[in-house]
Amino acid sequence: MAAPPPPSAASSQADDHLKRPLYAFDLPRDLLNSLTIKGSATHDITPTTTEAEATKDDDKLKDKEPDPTSGMSCTLCGVKSKTIQEQRSHARSDVHRFNMKRKIRNQPAVSELEFEKMIEGLSESISGSESSSTEEEGGSTDILSNLLRKKAHLNPTQDEDTENTTRKPRSPIIWLSSPKLPDSTYLGLYRAILPADTVENDVPRLLQTLQTTPSTSPPTAADPHVFLCMIGGGHFAAMIVSLHPKLAKKNGIVEREAVVLAHKTFHRYTTRRKQGGSQSANDNSKGTAHSAGSSLRRYNEAALTADVRELLSSWKEMIDSSDFLFIRATGTSNRKTLFGYDGAVIKSNNPKIRGFPFSTRRATQSELMRCFVELTRLKVSKIDEAALAAADAASQDAASTASVSAKSAGPTARPKLSKEELAKIQHSSNLTTLVRRSKAPAITTYLTSNKLPFDFYLSPQIHHTPTLLHLAAAQSHPLIVLALLTKGEKSADPSIKNSAGKTAYEIAGDKATREVFRVARMEVGEGKVDWDGLGVGSPLSRKEYDEDLEKEKVVKDAEEKGRREKETARLRSLPDGGGSSSKGAKSLADVLGTNPGAIVREEETKGLSEEAKRRLERERRARAAEERMKRLAGK
Amino acid sequence: MAVRAQFENSNEVGVFATLTNSYALVAIGGSENFYSVFEAELQDVIPVVHTTIAGTRIIGRLTAGNRKGLLLPTSTTDQELQHLRNSIPDTVKIQRIEERLSALGNVICCNDHVALVHPDIERETEEIVADVLGVEVFRQTIAENVLTGSYCALSNQGGIVHPQTSIQDQDELSSLLQVPLVAGSINRGSAVVGAGMVVNDWMAVTGLDTTATELSVVESVFRLGEGQVPQNVNTSLKDSLVESFY
Repeated sequence: MAAPPPPSAASSQADDHLKRPLYAFDLPRDLLNSLTIKGSATHDITPTTTEAEATKDDDKLKDKEPDPTSGMSCTLCGVKSKTIQEQRSHARSDVHRFNMKRKIRNQPAVSELEFEKMIEGLSESISGSESSSTEEEGGSTDILSNLLRKKAHLNPTQDEDTENTTRKPRSPIIWLSSPKLPDSTYLGLYRAILPADTVENDVPRLLQTLQTTPSTSPPTAADPHVFLCMIGGGHFAAMIVSLHPKLAKKNGIVEREAVVLAHKTFHRYTTRRKQGGSQSANDNSKGTAHSAGSSLRRYNEAALTADVRELLSSWKEMIDSSDFLFIRATGTSNRKTLFGYDGAVIKSNNPKIRGFPFSTRRATQSELMRCFVELTRLKVSKIDEAALAAADAASQDAASTASVSAKSAGPTARPKLSKEELAKIQHSSNLTTLVRRSKAPAITTYLTSNKLPFDFYLSPQIHHTPTLLHLAAAQSHPLIVLALLTKGEKSADPSIKNSAGKTAYEIAGDKATREVFRVARMEVGEGKVDWDGLGVGSPLSRKEYDEDLEKEKVVKDAEEKGRREKETARLRSLPDGGGSSSKGAKSLADVLGTNPGAIVREEETKGLSEEAKRRLERERRARAAEERMKRLAGK
Repeated sequence: MAVRAQFENSNEVGVFATLTNSYALVAIGGSENFYSVFEAELQDVIPVVHTTIAGTRIIGRLTAGNRKGLLLPTSTTDQELQHLRNSIPDTVKIQRIEERLSALGNVICCNDHVALVHPDIERETEEIVADVLGVEVFRQTIAENVLTGSYCALSNQGGIVHPQTSIQDQDELSSLLQVPLVAGSINRGSAVVGAGMVVNDWMAVTGLDTTATELSVVESVFRLGEGQVPQNVNTSLKDSLVESFY
């Protein structure tokens, strides 16, 4: 009994892979087998025409040597401007700034076209990464700083041309494609979670060997695991996470859960408030300070170092057996804490050490967990190749457009919805509201008047409750379930399964909802549906169902009544629940500080003169004293 | 009016003072001689403020400012900031900048309209400079030196740049800045013109060692003397001065 294919049959399977987060070490088998490196065919999509144009343009540059006597030119870039505005905008352009930095490094200046080509290679490699999509307005300058950073890593003594052609900037993410995925959708994998000298083309094969099999039993330290740690500003957080996820059931859905084998965080006050920097850095540069705060911080720095080292040595075995060590420790003092002391657990030249290839926040446990998830989750990105190519063709601002289009087509971008899909989403939201309000008749009228099928697929697709029937069953609305199963010319099919392979009956929320399936069995009859196969009990007439409900209600009412009686009896039996019970306790007014007597007294004396007030007060005190005497005598 | 002065036997006037069209900052010295030079010229025109920046006296190298604003490094203490706020006219914006290149006077060179800055300053700083000082910002080098503030003295009337700046560079910079520039030295041949003097639209203060020729170049390019126009320097004086020296 196969479930009928959902409406968007063609793309459903492809979309299915993207619905849930993809864990790098537990990918769906069919997807895994079909993965290929994205760059293999289309890595360099720069059309050859640009090359020709570039040389042409260079010739032009040579022909029109800028007039050295004119002030409105840029000798640095070899650009001649006609107006001051032009010259000023050139002086602020990225290419000018880039050339200036090259000049400082004694490198030859590049022409505008060469510069654009450099950026092109760069923007292609950074497209789709989350950090870049969040800094969209940073725009071209970010590209420039990226480019400068990339160039700074290259050996300046090397010949410029060979450097450009042979060494592509290495992106932190490897992009993979698969025929199982929707068009122009790519999966990104952090290079950092692969062994050090991985060749890109080996990645799909390598991934297969790295796969783990999740189980319900918690993994042990013997399973592959990674060590993550961050230290900075007096905060330290470290964590050992198993790469074997654990399967846990949440709301009836089996989900992977990362298993933390060990974790620890420390925080000590070490940074100098307002001034910034660590105490040791300050001591080293300016000599030892003698304030109370400085000695506190000095002590705390030493204590933090000791704590961290002790922790590392207690985790030594697990750290040594870790597949990767992700470490963020910037600055010498932080690095000294982790590396290079007597009996150091981690050697700074350990090939397993990785940095976090994205920006991280303060060292906390939750931040480490976020980083682990970020590292091991495949990034999904839609990149429109056609748009990229078109952008390249437009030679002037190729770089900027390409990067923008690639960015805008990042993980959040969705293909345009058709009119039907929009209508469907509208229907879905209306129907969901009606289900939530438990309006069975309204739902049947809505479905019939809009000519919608009773086994209506909600869109956007929901995993747990793909159809209206699933939704009603899961939220325990027996009347709606019954209406969907029995009303309409083509009633809802109870055998449709959700992505976890559950029918509506199996995810029903309570007994009444399950019973209602039996009623439906009675009314629909045996012919159409394999009720036994679904696990629905024997047919039940509506009358019996109502009687059952009634009976249950009576039983429940009786129970409630009994409970209430018991409770009142218990309260009565308590010794005098009234005002006198507060013998030792303070009155409410005392607690709140508003003594009603005092207020009354104040009211009384309001309009009186000072003399009269004093007299009244004396009178009152005398009376109080008499009262006390009387009481004493009485005892 | 160009005057010579000395700060505790040092000729580097631009290190110990900042001068703009709406205020002047002067370092606190052992005697009041240096302060008196400024006060004699500027009293009742603009406030002359005694201050330290981050407890140091090298205020001219740590701060950058013009008529509209004043930029301070992060190391400036709250007390100093408050003192400056109290002493400087309310129309002047004061802003503390978090910038790695914290000697703002060395990396920023500005008049009331344009600023030349170090090519490596952060993007945020560039924006703050543009906003607070109300200037157009250009990342430039002066004669291959990145410290624009040290090697250029600039006012709204003109500017002096490092003596080895090529003619082509001078022309380009002058076109960017829209003021006449000359390459010249200060303090008997010192190339650090930015640190060797301070200048606004009415007065310049140079080191005591400044030669008469240097002073006359200063007066003419900044139009401080009577009847002096920069063209005079560009034609006759410049050739005799700059090229023959270097």
